[in-house]
This record gives sequence, structure tokens and C-alpha cells, in this order.
Amino acid sequence: MSTSTEVADDSGIRVDTDVVRGIEEPVPIKRRKSWKRPLRRFSALIGIIVIWWLASLFMSPQTLPGPFLVFSTMLENLTEGDTYYQLAVTMGRVLGGMTIAMIMGLVIGLIMGLSAWGEDLLINVVLVGFSIPAVVFGILFILWFGLNDTAAILAVGVAATPAIAINIWQGTKAIDRDLMHMGKAFRFSQRSMLTKVVIPQLVPFVLAALRTALAISWKIVTVVELIGLSSGVGYMLHWWFGNFNMTQVLAWTLLFTITLLLIENLILKPIEKRLTRWRPHAAALEGAA
Amino acid sequence: MAYLEIENLRKEFRRPGQTPLKVIDGLNVSVEEGALLSILGPSGCGKSTMLNIINGLDDATSGRIILNGKEVSTKARSDVKVSVVFQQPRLLNWRTVSDNVLVPLLERGVGKREAKERVEKYLDLVGLGEFGGYYPLQLSGGMQQRVSLARGLAIEPDLLLADEPFSALDEITARKLRQEFVRVWATTGRTILFVTHNIREAVFLSSRMLVITARPSTTFLDMEIDVPQPRKPEDDALFELEKSITADFMRMEDESEMKRRLQEAVA
Repeated sequence: MSTSTEVADDSGIRVDTDVVRGIEEPVPIKRRKSWKRPLRRFSALIGIIVIWWLASLFMSPQTLPGPFLVFSTMLENLTEGDTYYQLAVTMGRVLGGMTIAMIMGLVIGLIMGLSAWGEDLLINVVLVGFSIPAVVFGILFILWFGLNDTAAILAVGVAATPAIAINIWQGTKAIDRDLMHMGKAFRFSQRSMLTKVVIPQLVPFVLAALRTALAISWKIVTVVELIGLSSGVGYMLHWWFGNFNMTQVLAWTLLFTITLLLIENLILKPIEKRLTRWRPHAAALEGAA
Repeated sequence: MAYLEIENLRKEFRRPGQTPLKVIDGLNVSVEEGALLSILGPSGCGKSTMLNIINGLDDATSGRIILNGKEVSTKARSDVKVSVVFQQPRLLNWRTVSDNVLVPLLERGVGKREAKERVEKYLDLVGLGEFGGYYPLQLSGGMQQRVSLARGLAIEPDLLLADEPFSALDEITARKLRQEFVRVWATTGRTILFVTHNIREAVFLSSRMLVITARPSTTFLDMEIDVPQPRKPEDDALFELEKSITADFMRMEDESEMKRRLQEAVA
């Protein structure tokens, strides 16, 4: 959430010291293309893997299998069709839950941000919802709907909603009133006011919300699968846990982590880049994100 | 009746737990069509509030604004083509420079082809013809303000409300733009209300000048400036005017200071 506030500050109006600068040269939008940045980003990850590998040398593979064993087990799993099925089932539930959470979170966040009345009414509900452990939602929805996809998706949806709502609520607080005044002065229609003035300012917050939703949803879905379903990554974790197979537990965790990294880098990042290309500091902020 | 009549305008802002803040206290002005009226006053004297009321973005506490024969309010904004230039650029940073000028035109129902021609024309006028494809945050503050000026002019308004549009610019740029501004005004013959706290700027630009007092505002001075256009910034006549108005302005400030002290002493 700290990144989103930075974003908001930055999109504010600036009439500042540039004027005194005298040199009226446009500032180029910097996009440094260098191999150093990705290396730096992954160096911590590589460090953890090295520590993992060193630790595994002193323990039995039943307690802590090394990274090579886990990695090769994961690749082996990938030759079986069932792995893709379990992964797809979980991703389906994540997407379903995320969609519900995004819709509900947007509506609740907008109501809270745009009316004082709505804020008073909903603030405590959202904060309570935010503090309830996800597993509680899992148990409740399984008891109400049975051991099925509906329960899993609804549990994810409801559990992830408060975080999204809070993000969007913060976003509406950061909307620039001066720009809305400008729109009114130039007689923008209600519709243009929304699509051309308000929503573009919410975009960074929606993206942040999307990230949070993805991370939360996957955590909740595995818990729900673990406690009550007979398919999905959570179920596989449960199954291998029952067999005391540490290597497989880690292999499945690794597989899912990689899947999430791919979603982040192949889908979310490019969307973000496209939507915030007007901001000269995009490259700098990316590092913070 | 004049083009714009401000009749006994009063504006108060309610403050919770306090007496209302009186911003404008019975202002009477009538503006002829085609005037370039400067409104000069100390900061915080309700000049921007007045522009908002004229544009139908805020309602007066009492009094009336009549624009081209029709009373204006937030519920009944005038059909006169009104445009604005703010003190800050207030641009849509996620849209290109061209789009920033284009969007308000399209909102006003200007045809697409004509709107595009106007974007080009007015960006050229403010010296940003080549920067249409840039995003505002790629430009300096001064350039952003010029985009804002192009946006305001491109509407080709019947009434332009300018709220200290050049105050954030460096003097050289401001001077160039003032000259362009006067030229546009002289060729189109439209009415302009120009709020400023820069006496020299007011004297150079306007056909008439209004000096208003500190909050709550009333008229202090209302004078024609009949130096023919185009004027030179170094004209002696303008300089003399500037000197005498500055003296008046200082006297006004002193008087209001005295009045405030007197009131404090009585209370």
C-alpha cells in the first residue's frame, strides 16, 4: 500500500520550481534498459536458494530436500497431465474469487470514498472483515455450501474484498479536486467527468488492488482446498503432507510460486506499463513496487 | 444593460462553530462587451470566488450576476461561451498535450475536424506546436501553463475568465504571452476578465481596471486605461499609471490595516 500513496502524490498538479529553471527542455521519459536491474531483483531470491541448498546438505531429504531435488520433482510432475488439471482448477477458483472481490471491493470502496455517509456505515464492517482470518471464511462457506467450487470461490471473494475496498477507498481520497473543478468549468458531461477525470486517477490504485487480490486469493484458496476440497493445489499439498512427502510439498509450492511470478511479469506488469506511460517516474516507481 | 452586470454581490462561506467568513461584500460592476477588465486586489479577497460565481460553479449568498441579459446560477449556467485559464495548469496528465486542448472542445460540441485545426492553431500560438504528442509531466511548469492557456483560448470564448494565468511563469515567457494575449483579444473583440495581483501586468493589458479591497471585498477604484493598443511595456504613460495606482493600492492597504487595528482596539 505504500507504493500506491507515492503514486497518488506524484500525479498531483505541479507548478513548481521548473518555472525558475528557465531551460524549457522537455524531460525525456527514461526507460533504462539494463541487465543490472533484473540481476539485482533476483539476487535476493538466488541468495535464499543458496541458503536453502546449504541447509539441505546437513539434513535428511525427508526433513529438508535440496533445491535441485525439489526442482527436478516439479519438472517431473509437469510431465503428468494431472498436474495441469490441479493447477487449472486452483487458478479457476482464484480468478472466480478475484472477480467477485474486485467487483465488490470497487463498489464498496467507491461508496466509502464518495460519500461520508457510506464511509461511516461501512468502515467498521470492512475493518472487521479485514481482520478475520481467511480460514474462518473457508470453514463458514464450506459449512454453508458444502465441499464444492461455489464454497471455495465465495470464500475467496468475500475474504479478499476488504483489502480491495480499502485500496479503492484510499484511491478516491487521492482524487484531485482541482481537476474536477477544471472539468466542471469546461462543462464536461457527467460521463466524461467519470471516464476522463476520475477513473484515470484511480488506475494506479486499481492495479495495486489487483495485485493484493491475487496474492490474498491464492493464499485463501489453498487453505480452503486444504481443509475441505478434493482437487487443486491445496488438495495436493494436503495429500503429500499426509504422506509425509516433503519434496512434493515443496515442489507444488514452487510450481505455484512460479505461476504467480509469470502472471505478475507477463500480465500485470505490461498492463501497468501501458497504463502509466504518461508518468516520467514510472521506471523509478517500478523499482519500489 | 451592460454585457456582464454584477449587482450587489455578496458571498459568505459557512464555517462550523464560527461566524460565516464574509468574502465579498456588496460588489457592483458592469462590464461592457469587448472589455479587457483587470481585477486587482490583495490575495484572499475573493477574486477566484467571483469568477466561479460568474461561471456558475458557485452560488452567491445574495445579489445577482447577469450575463448577456440572463441571470446566472449553478442551476442555470449561462449559454454564453465561457472559458477559463487557471493559475495552475490543471491538465489531465494521462492525456497528451493535444488531447488536453482537444477534449474540452469536443465536450463543447465542436466538430472533430474543426477541433483538431484549433488545437494546432492555439498550440502554435503559445509556441508549443511541436509538443502536441508529449505528456504534460514531460514538460516544464511554464510549458504546462502555456498548454492551459491554449486550452482556454481554443474554446474561442465570448467571455474568458483568467485567474492569474501568468503569475507562475518566468518574466520573459509571461511578457511574450501577454503580448499574444492582447493580440488575440484585439482581433477577436471578446470580453475578458483578468484577475491579477500584478499592477504592471494589469496596466499593460487592460482597457479598464478594477481595484478591490481586502476581504470582504468592495470596489476601491474603477478606472479606464485609455492608452491605445498595441502598447509597449516600456511606455512612459503606462509607467506613470502604474506608479499612481501602486500609491493608491498602498494607501488602501494602510487604510484597511488602520481600520482593523481600530476595530481590535474597540473590541
